[in-house]
Amino acid sequence: MRGIDLAALSKTQKLRLEKALEELESLSSKVNSDASVTIADSIAVNHEDAILKGHGTADLNGEVVATLCGIVERVNKLIYVRGLRSRYKPEVGDIVIGRVVEVVQKRWKVEINYSQDAILMLSSMNMPDGVQRRRTAMDELNMRSIFEEKDVVCAEVRGFQHDGLHLQARSQKYGKLKGGQLLTVPPYLVKRQKQHFHHLEEYGFDLILGCNGFIWVGEHIEAKDDMVEDQVNQSEPQVLLPNKNATNLEEQEKNYTELETRKYICRAANAVRVLSTLGFNITLEIIKGIIELSLSLNLDIHEMLSSEFCVVVAEKEAERRKSNKRRR
Amino acid sequence: MSSLKRKTSEEEDNGRQVIQRSDDTVACVHDVSYPDGYVIPVPNQQQQQQQQQPAKTFPFSLDPFQSQAISCLEKGESVMVSAHTSAGKTVVASYAIAMSIRNAQRVIYTSPIKALSNQKYRDFKEQFSDVGLMTGDVTIDPNASCLVMTTEIWRSMQYNASPVTREVAWIIFDEVHYMRDRERGVVWEESIVMSPKNSRFVFLSATVPNAKEFADWVAKVHQQPCHIVYTDYRPTPLQHYLFPSGGDGLYLVVDEKGKFREDSFQKALNSLVPAGEGDRKRESAKWQKGLMLGRGGEETDIFKMVKMIIQRQYDPVILFSFSKRECEFLAMQMAKMDLNGDEEKDNIEKIFWSAMDMLSDDDKKLPQASYVSNMLPLLKRGIGVHHSGLLPILKEVIEILFQEGLIKCLFATETFSIGLNMPAKTVVFTNVRKFDGDKFRWISGGEYIQMSGRAGRRGIDERGICILMVDEKMEPSTAKMMVKGAADSLNSAFHLTYNMILNQMRSEDGNPENLLRNSFYQFQADRAIPDLEKQIKTLEKERESIVIEEEDSLKDYHDLLEQHRSLNKEVHDIVMSPMHSLIYLQPGRLVSLQCTSSDVDVPTIFTEDQLTWGLVISFEKVKSVSEDDASIKPEDAKYNVDVLTRCVVRKDKLGKKSVKIVPLKDVGEPRVVTVPLLQINTISSLRVYIPKDLLPLEARENTLKKVLQTLSRSNEKGGVPLLDPEEDMKIKSSVYKKASRRIEALESLFERHEIAKSPLIKQKLKALQMKQELTAKIKSIKRTLKTSTALAFKDELKARKRVLRRLGYATSDNVVELKGKVACEISSADELTLTELMFNGVFKDIKVEELISLLSCFVWQEKIHDAAKPREELDLLFVQLQDTARRVAQLQLECKFYNAITSSFFLDHEKQVQIDVESFVKSFRPDIMEAVYAWAKGSKFYEIMEITQVFEGSLIRAIRRLEEVLQQLILAAKSIGETQLEAKFEEAVSKIKRDIVFAASLYL
Repeated sequence: MRGIDLAALSKTQKLRLEKALEELESLSSKVNSDASVTIADSIAVNHEDAILKGHGTADLNGEVVATLCGIVERVNKLIYVRGLRSRYKPEVGDIVIGRVVEVVQKRWKVEINYSQDAILMLSSMNMPDGVQRRRTAMDELNMRSIFEEKDVVCAEVRGFQHDGLHLQARSQKYGKLKGGQLLTVPPYLVKRQKQHFHHLEEYGFDLILGCNGFIWVGEHIEAKDDMVEDQVNQSEPQVLLPNKNATNLEEQEKNYTELETRKYICRAANAVRVLSTLGFNITLEIIKGIIELSLSLNLDIHEMLSSEFCVVVAEKEAERRKSNKRRR
Repeated sequence: MSSLKRKTSEEEDNGRQVIQRSDDTVACVHDVSYPDGYVIPVPNQQQQQQQQQPAKTFPFSLDPFQSQAISCLEKGESVMVSAHTSAGKTVVASYAIAMSIRNAQRVIYTSPIKALSNQKYRDFKEQFSDVGLMTGDVTIDPNASCLVMTTEIWRSMQYNASPVTREVAWIIFDEVHYMRDRERGVVWEESIVMSPKNSRFVFLSATVPNAKEFADWVAKVHQQPCHIVYTDYRPTPLQHYLFPSGGDGLYLVVDEKGKFREDSFQKALNSLVPAGEGDRKRESAKWQKGLMLGRGGEETDIFKMVKMIIQRQYDPVILFSFSKRECEFLAMQMAKMDLNGDEEKDNIEKIFWSAMDMLSDDDKKLPQASYVSNMLPLLKRGIGVHHSGLLPILKEVIEILFQEGLIKCLFATETFSIGLNMPAKTVVFTNVRKFDGDKFRWISGGEYIQMSGRAGRRGIDERGICILMVDEKMEPSTAKMMVKGAADSLNSAFHLTYNMILNQMRSEDGNPENLLRNSFYQFQADRAIPDLEKQIKTLEKERESIVIEEEDSLKDYHDLLEQHRSLNKEVHDIVMSPMHSLIYLQPGRLVSLQCTSSDVDVPTIFTEDQLTWGLVISFEKVKSVSEDDASIKPEDAKYNVDVLTRCVVRKDKLGKKSVKIVPLKDVGEPRVVTVPLLQINTISSLRVYIPKDLLPLEARENTLKKVLQTLSRSNEKGGVPLLDPEEDMKIKSSVYKKASRRIEALESLFERHEIAKSPLIKQKLKALQMKQELTAKIKSIKRTLKTSTALAFKDELKARKRVLRRLGYATSDNVVELKGKVACEISSADELTLTELMFNGVFKDIKVEELISLLSCFVWQEKIHDAAKPREELDLLFVQLQDTARRVAQLQLECKFYNAITSSFFLDHEKQVQIDVESFVKSFRPDIMEAVYAWAKGSKFYEIMEITQVFEGSLIRAIRRLEEVLQQLILAAKSIGETQLEAKFEEAVSKIKRDIVFAASLYL
């Protein structure tokens, strides 16, 4: 409900929206509704048992108090507080999208909506030529040929090291993202899933749901099979050539994205925006559903951001969840 | 070309070897496995010229297999080198390292054992200097170009996606045949499958017959060519001798050309076994004692052996035995011997004490108990002991002394046979059987090869000598298998662990199914498929080739026959049951017997049982060993009947007698044989007088003659009168009546059957039976085919995932949850039980020392029989641990139980999946809790050694592993944000990490 400009809604729209949201609320499980805490609330525990105090808790005069606004979660004897609407909190193995803010010694600093910038080491990137080798001083000088400032990159959280949060790019599908849009949503709307990379073949674009609330919608790029080509340049490590002024016409032509695809990218982006305004979880299925909905209603891309469509989406979602529940 | 060169150089420096070499013309076999659809790149001229300069030159001329392997490396392609330990595989490894350093690439060298890693680190450090070491215990220069590590470390580096994985161009897996290790082998498979796609491999392995298969797998998984260089070549040829127990000579059984000498083998065995058969058992028991104690003051065999070896100048010698205790015991028997001169003694003392100087004064006291007082004098006389129970430092001192040639006679366990080049002139096997966890078994050909590989020092000895001490009568084939046996093939020992599944699930690309699909296990299973299909096809063809006319009615008839037969058997069993028949088995009763059929395999359905007659002498109850005799009713017990009949007695080669019952008119001697009651076919109503004394042959012959007469007389009258079951024997059970009525009905059916009258009925039935057997065979092969086409371990993976879900480690969408993330970190102990303990807050309340003591249960596996129970508070903790373990095991059992129901198809897999709750709980052993508690409290090591009777080395290894587990727990606590617990684990590490337990290796 947050962030929706209620004034822009007509009276009937307002009513419809409220009804839909109410319905949704009634559908949601009530398990944790009484477990929400704010900062300095004490958490009821059985002091006879040994308890483990996890994230978001602290010991104050023998009482366990919350240091976060959120939901109290319990796993066996472990108690921790899951923040409600906070910045992104990285976990090992998360897929994140970020923006390069700085190129420094052997590493890029990447903004990922965390309390500090993440570090992407040069050595944590696969070399563009696919050769396995130690990084040289030459490579270091040419780091900008891989990522420059303001590039959007996709990576995996590797873990905390002594000097901060480290990212890594395991394979070729990680790395620089281009030919698309970056959207930022509150991180809690993106749930951790098995798959965060999606390729929507029918529309011809890629969707990457970063756990940090950065979402990428962009032209589909075929994952390169780097096996064959590197056979040839095996033993002669290529020196990376800076291609700073490679933005000539030819390059542009190569980077040209078809209009049709671009339209779909925009549709998907708007779908994410609608979901973010409504505060709905963002998953592949829902985004697909909204794109289809907008197409079936014959809406223009910009019309997807209208208040009417927003209400329709809310209603549809309420309906969908209701039928899901019934089916169960 | 190169092999030719080698030969000429050999000719020059050693005339003797030429003769030997001329008959093995192929010094090495080279082969390449290409992945499917691989295009061989055209060699680039320019590139080739660049590579003219070798990365490393060696001061000696290379063996053909070495230069072959190196040329593969220069091409930038993976290679698998399979050769004997002494052949010099290390050359290939060092070349790969040199090449990588030249190309500014990283290279990783992994070995299965920490000690071996330490030694290799020292070796490579001398050669290349840019070398680092990472084992669980120590990390040195992790940024070096060449990293030496254990395979486990490499695996966890890959799971953690260390930047090293992106820089490594070459990965060297030493002793890769460790992959067949039941417990740890899976680590190699994981590591190889997960290795970076663009890296190249060097596999060094003992000789394995299926090296090609392994290379095919690597080629397939990594889509790159993989070369195989295989050689059987030994730089020094071996002679194999037998030393029979109690004897005093050596018998050459395999000469240096590899010829097995049957005659001298027989001689050896004959001198071993005394004439009598019956006391074989006693003999071998005596032998065991003889080995240990010596017979009444005589010299023990082992003493004689060593004396002989020294006299013949076959030293230095390594004597392998299969237990640590035996090793020490044997060494103690050498106390009287002195093999070293004064100068050598001084040297030994110098080396020994300079090594011991590393230890603190308190720790120096430690070896006092058994070692400095016992060991040093022993060492000074040139006798050493080497096994995993020794203090690591002492073990290393002994290795160094051995390499220096100061130890002439080393008693070692199998562990000495792998790793660094430490050859002797002679190798002795003090036993030919080893205990492999469940039972004693003969050592395999592969193990024999591995251990005998220590015999013969290159460039010093003309040939190596291998002596096998045999204590039991071995079949020549067993012995042949051992001394001339093929190497063990490299088979996958893949199995799933929770840690593996969770780690795979955690990463976006990871997928446990993928790992399974790429495993060597799956590869080997898939490989069997075409073979199985072919088998099915040939069998089916064979089946079709059997054409039978009127098959349906014949089948009908066959079924009837079968029924008739089984009914007859039923009736027979009733009639011959002890309850009915015993009273008629008086001495002299004439009974008919089944002859022992000459060929057991002949299908018996249509052959009439051959019957003969005999006289009952007596009968007796078969004594069952376990049960109480009184509790069995006479009717239920089994009986044997002694019958006088005609037999043929044969003796086979080994003197085992076999008695065959033959028809009375055949040739043979009259003899009283014991047969089970059921072998008696029918009981006649006749009795014949038997003389009192049957011992003289004549008496028996006469009696049988009388029997024959009686029989022929009654045959004239129309058959021998038999006891009628109903009238004479008064059998009135309804089962009997029913069965006999059905037999009658069936017999009337036979009459009506047309086909029965066909003249070729017997042949036809035979054909039909063959056909049915083929069908059954095809069916069973098809079943195995089905199991192997399915993804191996698929069901187990499902079950394990279910366990993870139930325990809340992962969601149904395979997303790893908080608990799962903790379990991900724990790879050195049982991850589920440990995680559960942690989440149940068990670690929270207890003191640090108690925590350490509790964790010791996770790392200790040896069984100690009379271990003292730990004190109460520790025992209480242990009970808590057991409860948790039981819960975990119970849950696993439940989850897998579903599995067993839903897929009744995979019969073998079910068995694998079932876990025994109690044995799982018992796998946590509290034996060293007290000792570790004391260590954590700050006791000196010699003090805690007084508490337990375990070997020092074992305890040290356990504490080191405990530290590993603690390090993993620190990471785990960090990931759930429990800072107090994290601090507690840190404190625990600082408490145990001190003094002798973590003393650095001498090799560093």
